[in-house]
Amino acid sequence: MAVVGKAVKRKEDPRLITGEARYLEDINLPGMTHIAILRSPHAHANIVSINTEAAAAVPGVVGVYTGQDFMDVNPLPCPWPAGGPDHPNNINTPRALEVEKVTHIGAGVAVVVAEDRATAQDAVELIDVEWDVLPAVTDAEEATFDGAPQLHENAPNNVCMEWDCGDQESADAALTSSDVVVRQRLRNQRLIPNPMETRGCIAQHEPVNGEYTIWMTSQAPHVHRLLFTAFIFEVPENKVRVISPQIGGGFGAKIFMYPEYVLTTALSKTVGRPVKWVETRSENYIATTHGRDHVTDVEVGANRDGSITALKVKTYANLGGILSTVAPGIPTTLYGRMLSGAYRFPNIYCHVTGVYTNTGMVDAYRGAGRPEATYVVERAVDLVASELGMDPVDVRRKNFVPGDAFPFEPSNNLLNGLSYDSGDYDKALDMALDMTGYEDFRAEQAAARAEGRYLGIGFSTYIEICGIAPSAWMFGEGWGAGLWESANVRMHITGDVVVTTGSQSHGQGHETSVAQLVADELGVSMDQVHVQHSDTLGTPFGYGTYGSRSTAVGGVAVWRSLQRIKEKAKAIAAHEFEAAVEDVEYVVNEEGVGSVQVKGSPDQSKVVGEFMGIATSAAGGWSLPGDMEPFLDETSYYDPPDCTYPFGTHICIVEVDAETGGVDIKRYIAVDDVGKVINPMIVDGQVHGGIAQGVAQALWEGAQYDENGQLVSGSLMDYAIPRADLLPSFELGRTETPTPNNPLGVKGAGETGTIAATPAVVNAVVDALSHLDVRHIDMPLTPSRVWETIKSHSNGGNS
Amino acid sequence: MKLGGTYLFREQREQVWSTLMDPDAISSAIPGVEEFVPIEDEEHAWRAIAKVSMAAVSGRFTGQVRMSEIQPPVSYRLHVSGEGQGSIIGGNVVMRLADKDGGGTVLHWDAEANISGKLARVGQRLIKAAASMMSKRFFGNLARQIQAVA
Repeated sequence: MAVVGKAVKRKEDPRLITGEARYLEDINLPGMTHIAILRSPHAHANIVSINTEAAAAVPGVVGVYTGQDFMDVNPLPCPWPAGGPDHPNNINTPRALEVEKVTHIGAGVAVVVAEDRATAQDAVELIDVEWDVLPAVTDAEEATFDGAPQLHENAPNNVCMEWDCGDQESADAALTSSDVVVRQRLRNQRLIPNPMETRGCIAQHEPVNGEYTIWMTSQAPHVHRLLFTAFIFEVPENKVRVISPQIGGGFGAKIFMYPEYVLTTALSKTVGRPVKWVETRSENYIATTHGRDHVTDVEVGANRDGSITALKVKTYANLGGILSTVAPGIPTTLYGRMLSGAYRFPNIYCHVTGVYTNTGMVDAYRGAGRPEATYVVERAVDLVASELGMDPVDVRRKNFVPGDAFPFEPSNNLLNGLSYDSGDYDKALDMALDMTGYEDFRAEQAAARAEGRYLGIGFSTYIEICGIAPSAWMFGEGWGAGLWESANVRMHITGDVVVTTGSQSHGQGHETSVAQLVADELGVSMDQVHVQHSDTLGTPFGYGTYGSRSTAVGGVAVWRSLQRIKEKAKAIAAHEFEAAVEDVEYVVNEEGVGSVQVKGSPDQSKVVGEFMGIATSAAGGWSLPGDMEPFLDETSYYDPPDCTYPFGTHICIVEVDAETGGVDIKRYIAVDDVGKVINPMIVDGQVHGGIAQGVAQALWEGAQYDENGQLVSGSLMDYAIPRADLLPSFELGRTETPTPNNPLGVKGAGETGTIAATPAVVNAVVDALSHLDVRHIDMPLTPSRVWETIKSHSNGGNS
Repeated sequence: MKLGGTYLFREQREQVWSTLMDPDAISSAIPGVEEFVPIEDEEHAWRAIAKVSMAAVSGRFTGQVRMSEIQPPVSYRLHVSGEGQGSIIGGNVVMRLADKDGGGTVLHWDAEANISGKLARVGQRLIKAAASMMSKRFFGNLARQIQAVA
């Protein structure tokens, strides 16, 4: 009985819901010490001196250290400069502890190692730092102005890099000859990731062989090991073992190398004892990477019939005070190259200025660049519709990439040689409109307006770029490594199957969806499949989990190993039955039991995945053909030819309270096409969480800095993350257009919700106020902001 | 961040002024103050330790208080800087006295405060309310001392 495509309950859930799962905080080693980090209270300052005497004298303190103690440890690398090797990027990255100056609040400058956490935290207050406080700048555009405070010597006007894609000349020419041109400034505000589990690290150093074992909250354990060994400590790969225990969410923020991981690891050698660091929620706000933070000027040209002629985008991307691991790649490759959206815009140009400011580090956050791009595109389409007085649905249909145009290459070499794999954008839109009852909605809206109630509908007919890979393509984009994925599949003597994958699960349910794939391919039960990940010692090298790539890239590596195992099983069976290999077939029956049998001869058949089955023949090695090696054990490395391109339509219906500006989401309809679906329940879960995050950006979330670079939204009391009671029950639909780019037909589902939802909500609120001539409101659409807009657009408040 | 307010005293301006110039009166009026000692070789300057509790931040702050621009019996400026609990407080307050019609004294105060670190992150939205409460307590304490003197 096939399990792929079924809502199988997750194998990992029992341990999660019973509290048995072991997170980093649950791990305690004999002799372990604890640390507390002194972080800069200033956004921009020189360090004049640090006095650690009083802290060092506290009973229970093992040692107090400053950046000077770690000058033999390299600064953190930035392996993704924007645009590739030929583009100048003015790189500045953190050290384990900063030595001379700090460029954002929260930068670590000293550390206390103590017998217990409370002692470390008390002692760190006694460290005395003399600061030379400098003026700060927090806005990316203002930071480029002459006279703005300068953060880094190698970055004049605080510019880290300039990057562009598309064709400026053709875009300018098309704008000049268009019937209408709409211009709008869009702010995509800074977001602060809030995984349930904050970051943490435990490091242990063995002096006898120089090996480090590092438990850490990592979405990409092998990438962390690579950065530790090749770039930071310059030791061979086998000297560092990285283990991710159970991880409580990441949303991208746990991909990166952070100063605290380097510090904890270096200290384990310095103090000769295991060292543990667990981030507090307050630290999470100032020391973990943030996301988004763009200021964009968009110009979109269109003709009277609704066809869009050109899209020109100029963006200031705030990269924070110092660069996180892949910071420059997010607002460039993952943003600019997606600006064609679901449309065949004939002319596109995008210019991005990456800027240092006195704010926290910025890097990939769920969707990473693609939500920002989708926001620009979906708002631009709505602006055109409003300018032309057309229905936004009609403008979308007019400009969609048609179903027969795939593979589709966006104009002006926007995707740098890649092309959209497959799609049927009208079909997803039709389904969503049906679910919504769009025909009736406009009448309902008009009737409500007559009563002074503001109803609005917003559309987002998004696409995304998933399964982030081809290594060669990413190398051309400046990514300094590969992006293939790996898997090892072993069938043991009992028929149990162990799969180790280089991708990493921190909530995505890999242990279930991979097991479903294996169960169906090999004909074994779900219980017989054990999926292991997250330990560099026990898994083949892999690049980790982000960019919705675990199934579309990692899953295919598993599939490839399964095919090899099946071939080997057939060869063993052929030998045992004294038949030709070509005459043996691998069959999975209706009960889901896989066997190899001689074609047309059902009595010459042997179950594969059971004791004394083919599994045992292979593992026993008693009678194998020719020079065949024993054991069913296959490792694959898979590098796809292109990314995958999920798509869909999200529709949001809101009611805006004319008196208070409060936005109430009445309905949320999402039709997603993520290619072939392995576990619909897991996909729905991903979509639900993604929508919640996308809605939250539209309505509630937003990091706030004061003029001195102080983060004033630095706690769960001050920063509004979404709550279940603020959201309606989502109405989900699905179309299924497999990708031809991989044998599973899967595209990826981790980020669709976040990418699609934000513009759907904003478009809905603007639609609700369109009768007042409101064209745009910047996010988050808080009641006060919406209320101000209503007031300023309705004749002094008299609506 | 700018803060300010007005406080009314029943007493005459000279009497209010002399209390405002009295370090003992000031130190005992500041809520939570534990130490207030003159800085050697400096006039109108004190080292202070105070226990402050605001939002989720609570504990001792150490700092300095300096008086400048003294124009008796009208106004002076008080500079305050403090550090503690991963936070830094800096700022100054100008206090200006005027005779009130029908007797008594009006005190106007205008303050500018800069808050950094933990207090800025978790306390910002409470600071105005807390500052207004603390200033009421400060001037209330001063008023009681004036009455005690009188």
